[in-house]
This record gives sequence, C-alpha cells and structure tokens, in this order.
Amino acid sequence: MFRSLTNVWENFKEYIVLVVLIIVSLITLSLNQKPAAKKIKSLAFGSFAAFTSVISDVFDISGVRSENEKLRKLNAELMLEVSELRKYGIENSELKQLLSLRDSSQYPLIPAAIISKSLSRLQNTFTLNAGKNNGLKPGMPVINDQGLLGVVNSISDDFSIVQTLKNVDLKLTVKDERSGVEGIMKWNGSELVLGDIPKTYDIQPGDRIITSQLSSIVDIPIPIGMSLGLSNVETGIFNEAKIKPYADFIKAEHVFVISIVESKQKSGFELNFYNRK
Amino acid sequence: MRSDYIWSIVLFFPLLIIQTTIIPFISINGITPDLILIMLVFYTIRNGQVYGTVLGFVYGFLFDLITGSLLGSAMLSKTIAGFIAGYFTNENKREIYFKTYIFILIVFLCAVVDLIINSFFSSIDLNTSIGVLLFEQGVMPGIYTAVLSTFIILFYPKRSIIEN
Repeated sequence: MFRSLTNVWENFKEYIVLVVLIIVSLITLSLNQKPAAKKIKSLAFGSFAAFTSVISDVFDISGVRSENEKLRKLNAELMLEVSELRKYGIENSELKQLLSLRDSSQYPLIPAAIISKSLSRLQNTFTLNAGKNNGLKPGMPVINDQGLLGVVNSISDDFSIVQTLKNVDLKLTVKDERSGVEGIMKWNGSELVLGDIPKTYDIQPGDRIITSQLSSIVDIPIPIGMSLGLSNVETGIFNEAKIKPYADFIKAEHVFVISIVESKQKSGFELNFYNRK
Repeated sequence: MRSDYIWSIVLFFPLLIIQTTIIPFISINGITPDLILIMLVFYTIRNGQVYGTVLGFVYGFLFDLITGSLLGSAMLSKTIAGFIAGYFTNENKREIYFKTYIFILIVFLCAVVDLIINSFFSSIDLNTSIGVLLFEQGVMPGIYTAVLSTFIILFYPKRSIIEN
C-alpha cells in the first residue's frame, strides 16, 4: 500500500502538487470578503508600505515638496470650486433654492502621496502614505488637480490602498454634465465606459462626465473625464459611451482624499424603503 | 540549490518594491512588465517543476497580500505559470536556455498564461471582444515582460549558472 502510494507520488508528484495548490488558491479566492482575510491583507500591505515609502521618498525632492503640496491643494480646491460653479451654471438656481439644496462647496481635504502603484489591466491600485491615523476611511474619494482618481478601499494605521477608476471592481454612478444623463461607469479592462444607457439618450463627444449626486459612494460633483461619444452597440436596447479620464494615473504622485464617506443613515433609509412590504 | 531556495524568497521583496515603485515609470499605455514572473521562470528552470509550482504559489500569495489585489488570483495564475515553466527544466539544456532567446520565449509563454488566467478571475466585462482582451491583457504585457527578461539574461554571469 505504502509502496504503491510512493510510486504514485514519484510518478505524478508535479500534478499532485499543482492540483493541491490550485484547490488552495480557489478556496482562498472564495475567502476574500471574510473580515479575517481583509485584516491580514491590511496588515501585510501596511508593513510592506513602510519600506516602499522609503524608496518613494528618494524620488521626491524634499525642497519643493512642501510648496508643491500647497499648490496642489490649492489646485484641487479650485478644481472642486470650478466644478461646483459649472454645476450651478447648468442647474436652475431658483429651483435649487426652493429645494433647499445644501451648499457643499467646502470639502475637507487630506493630503497624501502615492508610494506604490500596482498597475495591471484589470485591477489598478495605489498605496497611499496616509491611513487611519490621518483620518482616512474606506469609501473616501481620492482626487488630484485633474479629477477623481479612485476610492479608498482598505486602510491600515498609516497606509491605505486606493481602487482607481481603472479597476473592474469599482463602479460609480456618474452623469453627463450637459445633458444630465446618468449611468453606471465601470472599467472594462481596456476602457472606462458608461454602460446601459438607452439608445435615445443624448451623450455627445466632448461632454464632461462628473460624479452624480445619486452615487452612494461619491455624491459630490467631481470631474471624471470627457465623453468620447456613444459606441452604437448593435444588439439590445442599451448603448454605452466611452470616457477618457482627465486624471493621468501613471504620473499621479500627490493626491487628496476628500474626507466624506457614504452616509450610512441615507443608505439605511433607502434600503428600508426598498425592502418594505 | 539550497541557497536558491533562500535567495528566491529574499529577492522577492526588493523586486516587488521595484515592481511597485519604479516599473510604473516605464509602463507603456498602462502595460507593465512583470519582474516577479521573470524571477519565477528563472528559478523554476534552475530547480525543477515542483519547486516552480510551489514558488509560483508563494509569490502569488505574497503579491496578492501586499498589493491588495484579489486574494487568490495571482496565487492561481503564478502557480500555473511556475508549473508550465517547469516543463523547461532540464539540466543538460539549462545553459542553452539561459544563453539564448529561448529563455525569452519561455518567459513570454508563462507571462501570457499568467496574465490570461489572472484576467479570467477578475470580474471582466465580456461585452468587449475576448480576442481583443486576450491580446491587450495577455500578449502585450507578455511581450513587454519577455523584452525586459532580455536584459537580465544579457547581464547575468553565465559561468555561475553552469557551475551551479
């Protein structure tokens, strides 16, 4: 018995090892959402990011760093302000007063630097040198002076991981600023697309795409990119529009995290509304 | 060989730092080479298929943990890439592999398999043509990784390989 098992192992050990490891990988894939897995991940990237930040600092010129940071902060604030003003210009200000919409032009910004980037075609992530101790929370939007870069996904005490817009797992409700058409934007592996838009809807090339107030993740208007026009999908009743992001994900170094998170009260209220019998 | 076991793990961490800090600067249209995979193929050819499969698993696990990507995706793809690279383990031909373009072809093959498997385990939008996706997410980064492996072979002291 033992000899036959030894023979099997000797003849097929490569395949046995492969099959066992594949099974372990598949089991691990199914454990991704478990809190323990998230905790281990956050611990691992937090420890590693400490080393990465040292390397990252070498590339940073310390003299102009603080000045750059101030200017970038100013730029980001101005970008938000301009974006807000554009929104006000398009919407009817009288209606807004009647509806008592909240003037939310002041957003607290937390500065951070990107210390490492994991650039793959499907799951782009950045590691920031700011974490729980800096006031970051999962779900906070990350911007630079060009526009939205992504959303904070996991955090440790001093570091955090950002899911960028070029990540298949991040889907955002956005709208065409000119026509007001809203839809879900996602990264399909090669392009940012605004999907499931009825074919009759009006989206022109060059239209500014911003985050929608309907979004449960980012409900303030932040520029995302420019529409490249509708793709004219042949089958079905829906169309999709390609979006060229304003932000340059390769060159991005310094970012700001907007200190807002999804309102649990609002989400809970909406959930109760939909679940009522 | 035992020193290989230690070095393959020790070298992983500085290489991952380079992969996440410096390599993004040389990306072309979002396509980046995979240094970890080059190292995986290198050590697999030196130490055998079982070793390569296990090393791929360990590299994938560490990569998923540290970069915050979907835990298990790189584990699976790199395990299979290591297994495939193991088919090229042959003590008599090792020198030929490391000295010629064959190493580049092995890296290319393993990189394409690694990237395609990784793509399948991410929630990919199948509205886009599968052919285009495989080309953009498998072949293109695979070519870039293979091209980069050329430099490593050019600068690697060949004699030490033969002696080991």
